[in-house]
Amino acid sequence: MTMLWLCLRFPHLAREAIAGHQADPRVQREALERLAAWAYQWSSLISCAADEPLLWLELGASCMLFDGHAALLARIEAELVQLGYSHICALAPSPTAAALLTRASGQRQVLTRTQLRQRLDCLPLHLLALPASTLAALHASGLRRIGQLLELPAAAIARRFEPETQLYLQRLCAQASDPRPAWRLSETYRARCEFGSDVRTSTALLFPLQRLLLEFQGYLRARDCSVQRFTLEFEHYRHPVSRMSIGLSAAGRDAAQFLILVRERLHSLLLPAPVNALRLQALEFTSPAIVQADLFGSDAQPLQQLQRLLDRLHARLGESSVHALQRHADHRPERGWRLAAPQAAAASCDHSAAPDTDAPARPCWLLPEAMAIDAPPELLRGPERIESGWWDQDDVRRDYYLARTGEGAQVWVFRDRRDGAWYLQGLWA
Amino acid sequence: MGALTLDQLARLHHDGEWRRGRHQAAPSGFAELDASLPGGGWPVGAIAELMPEAAGIGELSLLLPALSRLARAGRYIAWIAPPYLPYAPALAQRGLPLQRLLIIRTRNLQESLWAAEQALRCPAFGAVLSWPSTIADKNVRRLQLAAEAGGSLGILYRPPEAAREHSPAALRLRLRAATDGLLVDIHKCRGGRADLRLQLSVRAIPHLAHDDAVAVPAFSAPGA
Repeated sequence: MTMLWLCLRFPHLAREAIAGHQADPRVQREALERLAAWAYQWSSLISCAADEPLLWLELGASCMLFDGHAALLARIEAELVQLGYSHICALAPSPTAAALLTRASGQRQVLTRTQLRQRLDCLPLHLLALPASTLAALHASGLRRIGQLLELPAAAIARRFEPETQLYLQRLCAQASDPRPAWRLSETYRARCEFGSDVRTSTALLFPLQRLLLEFQGYLRARDCSVQRFTLEFEHYRHPVSRMSIGLSAAGRDAAQFLILVRERLHSLLLPAPVNALRLQALEFTSPAIVQADLFGSDAQPLQQLQRLLDRLHARLGESSVHALQRHADHRPERGWRLAAPQAAAASCDHSAAPDTDAPARPCWLLPEAMAIDAPPELLRGPERIESGWWDQDDVRRDYYLARTGEGAQVWVFRDRRDGAWYLQGLWA
Repeated sequence: MGALTLDQLARLHHDGEWRRGRHQAAPSGFAELDASLPGGGWPVGAIAELMPEAAGIGELSLLLPALSRLARAGRYIAWIAPPYLPYAPALAQRGLPLQRLLIIRTRNLQESLWAAEQALRCPAFGAVLSWPSTIADKNVRRLQLAAEAGGSLGILYRPPEAAREHSPAALRLRLRAATDGLLVDIHKCRGGRADLRLQLSVRAIPHLAHDDAVAVPAFSAPGA
């Protein structure tokens, strides 16, 4: 699958940290952590930069869900504006390139490698994230634009510079794998937001509170769960923290609803001193979150209804009539999935099964058993070689192809490399 | 707010037709299709029939964006007696949260219709998909009422011959393979225009980005 990386740069976070209210890089780190949790609702592959205010979101897998990248980007940016973060965003087929484009001016969205290469060609050399000594050496040899450097033979670059230089350039052009440490959603939510200065009135607390709650809402959406209780803590200089526990009669995940409750409570909360930081903490979550209460009427309890339905289906169709699906790590396509108990699925709030965007495409329909066919239909793409299973006496050696039948159906076929026979295994429905 | 334009009025009227004031349409994720459907999407609280010319032309991909949205909003998707295995790695790859999918096995048509009706009535479900080999008018009407009660989207996959029969379903679409996507004939559309033909860029084979397309290498068949 084509990866498409969105890189978000938050220049303001860096400035806040540098300007010296809080020289502590922890402020930047905490903000990035909150933003990563918030961003998880758009993409299940998120990465934070270690030393820069940068966040990467892999959007290739999510684009389809949100009407393509332009619509998705518009939604992400609209929420960032609502959250009140100034940001620069760039889209590129590699995270290295996306990060570079956030430093460039002009067009910051390139979708394909070809576009990327064209865009890089005219950008100045100093945008490259290479050591100053390397940049100086390149400059001294008369190079000014990235394109000039990319035109040099690889051997020449390898000879003159550290091996990292070559790797960096390949990653920049999306020609080498560019792995990023994946940021993981944590099981509990703890966010902290430190202010540049003391906040003395509860009205002035509302803006950072709203931001904190919106980020929290993003986390809840990403985990697809809701919350019935969370805690807010107000940190003071030389005073113990003030604590506020917010409870809801029914679990929810609507930041606006949370804010209304918090605001009500703020009226009666006596703060002993100015506030210099806020914390939000939630330890227990309700899942699955079927939270559109208005869809079901006020008396409806969808989870119970689901449970009652499962009971009825079991009673009439048999105990094994209802299943959920799981992926299973096995290279043999017919073993790449499993049935799971519906209750377990209903209770899970597990997003570890995130889309694997690097994996080759698979068809939505799989035949229960691969079907022998006489001759291959028109082959469109392939082969993808799958060899696996020697350890359990069920080894396969196959070449898979995308193919098209006479009726225009797109099928997934393979040739058994042991005897050359052709099989139909899936349909691209 | 200023005065409504004629367009908006027409849309309001259509919305009412779809959902009788209660349900919203579920955006299909295909702008052209949404523009042709009252309320701008699949008829929630009603039955839509899809009649693909053959299996494997994009008949599921057409639904996936809507299903993903519903599932991500926390609602379940029921697959009642699907004709093949819904392949978990592929569905996950296309963004469906697997924990929201329930596969219901049945032994005969009667059980399938019963299960479809039960699932449609349950508000926990956002969409219910079923593949009846044949279905009588009165049963479509039953499912239609169940969908209305549960506020979910009922999808019936039917053979292409069904287009010749009458059906009380709110929406009926014929699907054909096109060179680059899917040809959709709007056969019937309650509250909207029928006899429209759309070509949608439904991609049954995901992420075939141009710079990643691989040519089939020279290949010799065994014995050739």
